[in-house]
Amino acid sequence: MTAFLKPVRAGSLRRGKSKGRGKLSAGQPEDAGLSGAAWKDQVLSPDLETNLQQIKTILNNCSDVIYREFVFAQNEQIRLALIYTDGLADKEQIGDQITKALALEVPMAAPGQEITKGRALDFIKQRGLCVNEFQETGKMRDVIRAILSGDSVLLVDGHACAIINGTRGWASRAITDPVAEPTVRGARESFIETLRTNIVLVRRRIKSPSLKIKTLRLGEVTGTDVAVAYIEGIANDKLVAEVMSRLERIKVDGILESGNIEELIEDNPWSPFPTVNHTEKPDRVAAMLLEGRVAILVDGTPFVLTVPNLFVEHLHAPEDYYERFLYTSAIRLVRFTSMAVSLVLPSLYIALTSFHHELLPTPLLLSIAGQREPVPFPVFIAVLIMELVFEALREAGIRLPRPIGVAVSIVGALVLGEAAVRAGLVASSTIIVVAFTGITSFTFAYSASIAFRMLRFTLMVLSAVLGLLGLISGLAVIGIHLCALRSFGVPYLSPIVPTTAVDLKDVIFRVPLWAMFTRPRLIARQEQKRQIPGLKPTPPETRPKR
Amino acid sequence: MIKKISVLLILIFLTGPLGGCWDRKELPELAIVLGTGVDRTADGRIRLTVQIARPSAFVAAGGGGGGGGDVPAGLVVWAEGETIEDAEMHLETKVPREVYWGHNMILVIGEEMAREGTRMVTNFFHRNRQPRETIWLMVAKGEAKDFLESHSALEKTSAQAASFLARMKLGYSVSSREFDEMLASKGVQPVATRVEVKRAGTTLGPGREKQPSNQKQVELTGVAVFREDKLIGWLDEHETRGLLWLKGEARRGIIAVVPSPGEPEKEVSIKIRRAKTKIVPQYDGERLLFNVVIEAEGDMLEQQSRKDLAKPGKIKALEGAMAEEIQKRAAISLKKAQRGYGVDIFGFGDAFHRKYKKEWRKLKNRWDREFARAEVNISVKTHIRTTGLLTRQPYLPEE
Repeated sequence: MTAFLKPVRAGSLRRGKSKGRGKLSAGQPEDAGLSGAAWKDQVLSPDLETNLQQIKTILNNCSDVIYREFVFAQNEQIRLALIYTDGLADKEQIGDQITKALALEVPMAAPGQEITKGRALDFIKQRGLCVNEFQETGKMRDVIRAILSGDSVLLVDGHACAIINGTRGWASRAITDPVAEPTVRGARESFIETLRTNIVLVRRRIKSPSLKIKTLRLGEVTGTDVAVAYIEGIANDKLVAEVMSRLERIKVDGILESGNIEELIEDNPWSPFPTVNHTEKPDRVAAMLLEGRVAILVDGTPFVLTVPNLFVEHLHAPEDYYERFLYTSAIRLVRFTSMAVSLVLPSLYIALTSFHHELLPTPLLLSIAGQREPVPFPVFIAVLIMELVFEALREAGIRLPRPIGVAVSIVGALVLGEAAVRAGLVASSTIIVVAFTGITSFTFAYSASIAFRMLRFTLMVLSAVLGLLGLISGLAVIGIHLCALRSFGVPYLSPIVPTTAVDLKDVIFRVPLWAMFTRPRLIARQEQKRQIPGLKPTPPETRPKR
Repeated sequence: MIKKISVLLILIFLTGPLGGCWDRKELPELAIVLGTGVDRTADGRIRLTVQIARPSAFVAAGGGGGGGGDVPAGLVVWAEGETIEDAEMHLETKVPREVYWGHNMILVIGEEMAREGTRMVTNFFHRNRQPRETIWLMVAKGEAKDFLESHSALEKTSAQAASFLARMKLGYSVSSREFDEMLASKGVQPVATRVEVKRAGTTLGPGREKQPSNQKQVELTGVAVFREDKLIGWLDEHETRGLLWLKGEARRGIIAVVPSPGEPEKEVSIKIRRAKTKIVPQYDGERLLFNVVIEAEGDMLEQQSRKDLAKPGKIKALEGAMAEEIQKRAAISLKKAQRGYGVDIFGFGDAFHRKYKKEWRKLKNRWDREFARAEVNISVKTHIRTTGLLTRQPYLPEE
């Protein structure tokens, strides 16, 4: 207690902190994690008792691990042990395919061929076990990992090896509608928290041997399974190699969500713009893969990362490719306009009403001036307050349980706004500007809209200080930054800057699918052709002969 | 990269305290001037009258806390001084907000002031950076102050009413810039819109039937004619039409009423769709001749007679009557300018300048005298495009 009462000097604080950090990076994950422990390099011994004892020592105080010892049906001298984690492994499968099969229903061996201890392992592997999938290992590390991943481990007395049975089966959420990316038209499935299921969802859409899935384990303590999916022949090999190398250098204690990986592999960690895209829709991932991108699936999260990520992706919705191209182009125009509005409208309003009165048409100026007459705050303060209110409302809507969230947004939007105007604290035009800005920021991807929200405040300050001059210089800086940004080697603003003429077919205006001949040039460098020419639907008599 | 961006950002943010927001003006701190008038008072001083908007009147009722309705839309303030700037300084002591000229729509010069010269007035507005050059320049018959003090039943303020009237370009509307251009050229003498305050029509309401309104409202009633920057006379509405024809400014919406072919006592209305004026000067060192060719196209809009005019012969006759009418109107204005005022308000001098550059040098300083004695031939070509399907009225058989 006395230590707390003592005033802490800045110097000592800093020293203590740096020491702590050093210790963490040097030793801590090693101690707690899988890699540094002494048993990491252990091998199994032929003696069952020794093995069990060792495993029990390693999994000390892990009460969810179950040890089941039994004897082989044909030769009671042969002792077996089955180890698995309660809840992670499918008990029914274990009972039917392992325990029952080995302890009760083993087929008779050929006459005169008694199953000895020495032959037991081969016999069990070939005739005894009924599981679909098993592996053999002699390493303790694999055994422990298998137990904790939901597989069950069978130890046979007298053999220095273990059989890992694929019995993973835990309670998981059903596949439901995508919550974060609702669409009107298109697949309603979304990813879930189980990696295996997620891979299935992708594989079901791309039934090609070219769809490759590389797996690796990240997180020294969590040991999270991560899968990297790409289509061989479409994705750039260098890109795949780059993704793998960026993933492999990750050494942290835990990966709990794909966001953890995103932060460790993105190109510019200081940029407000996301350079790694994420989605929870398998059809979107399939579309990304077909364009030559690489998907990173992480166990334990429904959000799948896709790289490289272009700026325009955030303004595209999955159903842009399911609806007809005219409608899509029109809607995208709305979305792009909304993006511009959500970035500059409040700043423009501030600049025009506090510096450049002459730029507004007279009737509009008079109307705004009339509304602002009773307002005691400068326009910048009023907009700032309302923007903060709006951001608070949005945050409250997300954090609160859904039924209450609705109530909050009604109270906030209707009551607060109306009361503020009636009390003469805020002009109606300010409310309109803020509300319109808020609505427009919902028209495109959430992750990008966060970037715009942050930049909006910066621009508001700039235009409150310097008027349009400040606004334009702010926009110039943002533009320069965007031009310099890259995502896995691909310029972020492409195909707009640098201009790739053929790829402008899918930026604001989407050409019809029968005219989308090539894949994005800067992403997929191999296998440019997407389809054969002449797919435009025509009446039969005018159709070109093939 | 990050370093560069952050340095740039810091630099930008640092410019903030340098400027210190001195230029920032919140809207409620401004007195927005909608219309300005300048008069010469009896004791020789300049009186500056401004119509200032009261913004709360421009908000829909219930919104903004002000609540439109019966709030007066503006107020008229005036101050006197030796110069306009002097008057404006006195004005500032009467208005608790900063006088803001950026949305001034009209500049009205009182008759007395205009006779003395407009340069004294416009100089202030040219040097000041807030007023626009697009404001309408008008000359009030009488005092500009009366004009600004009048009311508009339809628009919120009389300044707006006058500027909307000017924008419709039914008469001859002159912006401050156009006036200066005319002033700068020796080949044309300036004109400006003439405004008058007249009795308004009846505003509707219970108990107001047949009661003549005692309200006054603004009307555009022709143009004021200048020699250099001094007012010398007026053209009425009818003569202004001729001015429009000769200047080639006759746009659509101008209706020529001509006698119906075959029945001269009945009239036909024609709506002008397109018009073009060409001035071709001829000069032999002595005699000055202008051939003015006006080409006009129009649609028949109305007819009093019951004759079917949709026949080639009839249309020809109608076109002839239309040409005659236009020629007559142009001639009236021309005569007034040449004989009455002796100033070239049509830009004949500019046309002459374009064709005879050398001779112009000799003539330009006495151009108005040359113009007054010049011979002008006005020829009009007309074309009626459509006569409409109702020409032959089915319920009235042709006589």
